[in-house]
Amino acid sequence: MTDLFNFPSIHNFPPFYTLQTQPTTRQTQITLWSEIILAYFTHHKLYRLELSESLNGELFDNKGIKRRLKLGTLQCIIDAMVKQGTAEWDSQSKKNVALIYWRKPEEWATLINNWVFNSGMTNSILTVYEIAHGDVTEGLDFHGLDQTILLKSLDILVKRGLAQLFQGSSTEDMGVKFFGTNG
Amino acid sequence: MYYIGKIIRSFVKMGNKTSKITSQDRAILDLKIQRDKLIQYQKKLQVISDKETEIAKKALRNGNKRGALLALKKKKYQEQLLKKTDTQLLNLEELTQSIEFALVEKDVLSGLELGNNILKEIHKEMTIEKVEKLMEDTTDAIAYQNEIEELLSGKITREDEDEILEELRQIEEEQVCRLCRKLPDTRPGSFSFHRFLKPIIRPTGFLYGCGFDNWEVYSIY
Repeated sequence: MTDLFNFPSIHNFPPFYTLQTQPTTRQTQITLWSEIILAYFTHHKLYRLELSESLNGELFDNKGIKRRLKLGTLQCIIDAMVKQGTAEWDSQSKKNVALIYWRKPEEWATLINNWVFNSGMTNSILTVYEIAHGDVTEGLDFHGLDQTILLKSLDILVKRGLAQLFQGSSTEDMGVKFFGTNG
Repeated sequence: MYYIGKIIRSFVKMGNKTSKITSQDRAILDLKIQRDKLIQYQKKLQVISDKETEIAKKALRNGNKRGALLALKKKKYQEQLLKKTDTQLLNLEELTQSIEFALVEKDVLSGLELGNNILKEIHKEMTIEKVEKLMEDTTDAIAYQNEIEELLSGKITREDEDEILEELRQIEEEQVCRLCRKLPDTRPGSFSFHRFLKPIIRPTGFLYGCGFDNWEVYSIY
């Protein structure tokens, strides 16, 4: 798909793939992993990490040094990221899908709100679909944004009184009306 | 303060829920959702028609001419559908935009109405009689003011002014003379410095005002 992601040299370091027992080393290891995940997701504009699926991808399966991350280790890393606010488990019970926040929902919310204001969309009706997939947002940072994250961000705007989510009269699909002031 | 802000915000939110979404908003949303669905439908058609081409190619390679023909026919049909949905999309877009524009027009109209009403109210407060009376009063006041000015400034006549000027000249002379007396007499006895200077200083008196001080004037002679 897009151009290749340049992994940092630590990605080729075999012990990096085994969860360290020494607490400080472990802490550093987890921090480094979360940094790589965030950078990788930013680079490819990804939002959703399917843990068991991703263990076969280039991110966690380093074929060059024949090392692969274990599911438990990855869950540990994601847990740490959740604590940091850079990730969130999509379904708490299974711990198999996580949303990766290389931008937090608050930041997405601000981006969307600024775009609405700057493009004169204040008071007009937009569908949730067109914010993430419509022609109008083509080329913008939040084009292609994951639906769950988008709804969370919109919810933040609703709570701030800047937008309102509502349903059409005949369908279940959601629309948003922006009120366009900052406060 | 924080608590009050919170209450206000929750009120705003309640307000949003009830009033900010109108039935027109919902209608526009319905249209836009329809548009999204059409776009998604078009994407699907595009994918299918691309696939039909592949199927036709594969069938030809396997010598299945009938299968290839069927796939191409299907593809043609998908393309026709795509064209039809294009016109539908255009219709939807037009309708949405007309509604949005009509809403803008409505807003402009109500804005104009409001402005007009305010203008009327303001006019009610300033009747023509009132303005005329006010203008009359103003003219009277200006005339009165002029009279006062005349009275005040008229006190100093032409003669007064001459007297003032004469006094000024005298003071100037006195100052020059006082200065002369302080200096050592360069030609004692026979020459009266005071009398010599007097006629020369007079025409140059204006120099005082131009920044020449007593010393400078004197040093010329």
